[in-house]
Amino acid sequence: MNEQTASTNPDQRRAGIRRTVWIVGGIAFAIFVLFFVKQFLWH
Amino acid sequence: MAIHAAAHYADHAQDDHHNHKPHGFFNRWVFSTNHKDIGTLYLIFAFIMACVGAAFSGVIRTELMKPGLQFVQPYFFNQMTTMHALVMIFGAIMPAFVGLANWMIPLQIGAPDMALPRMNNWSFWILPFAFTILLSTLFMPGGAPAGGWTMYPPLAIQGGNSVAFLVFSVHLMGISSIMGAINIIATILNMRAPGMDLLKMPIFVWSWLITAFLLIAVMPVLAGAVTMLLTDKYFGTSFFNAAGGGDPVMFQHIFWFFGHPEVYIMILPAFGIVSEIIPTFSRKPLFGYQAMVFAIASIAFLSFIVWGHHMFTVGMPLGGELYFMYATMLIAVPTGVKVFNWVSTMWGGSMSFETPMLWAISFVILFTIGGFSGLMLALVPADFQYQDTYFVVAHFHYVLVTGALFAIIGAIYYWWPKWTGRMYNETWAKVHFWWSMVFVNVLFFPQHFLGLAGMPRRIPDYNVAFADWNLVSTIGAYGMFLTPIMMFLILRRSLKSGAPATMHVWEGTHGLEWTVPSPAPFHTFETPPVIHDEDLAHGDITH
Repeated sequence: MNEQTASTNPDQRRAGIRRTVWIVGGIAFAIFVLFFVKQFLWH
Repeated sequence: MAIHAAAHYADHAQDDHHNHKPHGFFNRWVFSTNHKDIGTLYLIFAFIMACVGAAFSGVIRTELMKPGLQFVQPYFFNQMTTMHALVMIFGAIMPAFVGLANWMIPLQIGAPDMALPRMNNWSFWILPFAFTILLSTLFMPGGAPAGGWTMYPPLAIQGGNSVAFLVFSVHLMGISSIMGAINIIATILNMRAPGMDLLKMPIFVWSWLITAFLLIAVMPVLAGAVTMLLTDKYFGTSFFNAAGGGDPVMFQHIFWFFGHPEVYIMILPAFGIVSEIIPTFSRKPLFGYQAMVFAIASIAFLSFIVWGHHMFTVGMPLGGELYFMYATMLIAVPTGVKVFNWVSTMWGGSMSFETPMLWAISFVILFTIGGFSGLMLALVPADFQYQDTYFVVAHFHYVLVTGALFAIIGAIYYWWPKWTGRMYNETWAKVHFWWSMVFVNVLFFPQHFLGLAGMPRRIPDYNVAFADWNLVSTIGAYGMFLTPIMMFLILRRSLKSGAPATMHVWEGTHGLEWTVPSPAPFHTFETPPVIHDEDLAHGDITH
């Protein structure tokens, strides 16, 4: 059974939020940029 | 958990600390960082946009009431079909679901607010600007975009300068959606109450977590595609211009790589809502909780590999057509799992039929009709007949109106007493439901017949052979136009003079949102609640 709980320590929580934002936002931005690169190189 | 939280709020119910709201209209609403207020803003915005989109559809259905041109010129008709879709998809359905997410996710996972409250404010307040830009094109020389919401080049970029406004407004909507999605993911992954493991979260939260990842994956693709449209029109590039070495069909691939997951962005949260409502009014835990989670995830995964079924007729290789056909039909498997689980949840349950349950049951039945017509469209040989006919229009309106919109309305009736502390008039709410149920079918079911008989979509005039069912469809549309007015009056009366709601509101409720008073205080769960498995909304899944 999944036992993945979120931390209740405020510092860890802030760090977790910051990490999540960078990862998820980074994925979104990377998709946008890679998409353009791909279209420029091969379209 | 329930007793603990209830006692906590009983002790503090009158405590200003829970209910202090910012003073003044601007401070309260424009600068809001409160998830409940921002959720309310999203829902009000979605309602206004739904009325605007309905007005556009009123022009469409009025023109189509009889064969021949009656009221509008063809070019304006095309603007109406384009704007109706853009407003309803990006302005009504998506913001309504984000509004529900804002209201309910923190309450359901025991978090005090969203993880990034100021970004939450920004996510919302971008939207009115985006839609002001989009709607302003109606008053420009050359009019609004008229090439269809799918924006296929070269047609879409042959319009006037509305193309630039359309692209910029789509960029803003995309930024808003991506920020909203980041916020939802950060909230769910980091802000859950102690004991709330991932596989113990309410199914609505799960549906939104997966939806948020879909948004993250496809909104940048849409942003990229429309930016290329912009540079093709204004800066001399030839991404999609065949004369310059580009490929217009490439746009269709890119658009539908966004577009098909977008369809699921508009239906997965609806699955979550229905999975909350049906167990409550069946007084049973959700049947197959984990199967439901995996079914949502499977549907989300499959949504990325089926885009080609939107463009079977462009002339793709037979192998491509076969692949996209079979991959598309695979989606029926996890969707079927969900439908059977909803039915199994009701089976043997102590069911009652309050208004939210009526909307949820009608969702299961009517969405399944939309699903089956989708399966018909997935068949390549059949799709060559159905492509660009009213059959497609009937299909996606069953999915998006009796699917997504009905789930949103059901959710509003379900959680409204928790939001406002007031019950609504059950009789009038049921009148609203049955009125909608009858007229939505009068509106959209005949469109199946029209499509199978060969009536093309996106046209202002048609062969007299199609006259009868078009008249019936328009009568259905006029009936449906009364439903937002009905809903508005029912909810306004509830706010003014509705009976006070209890904390649990409905008899069969489980879950954290029902452990706070009604109306939910301005600030909730500043002290995280402790979760016990036996109190979970979907039963004790550890056994």
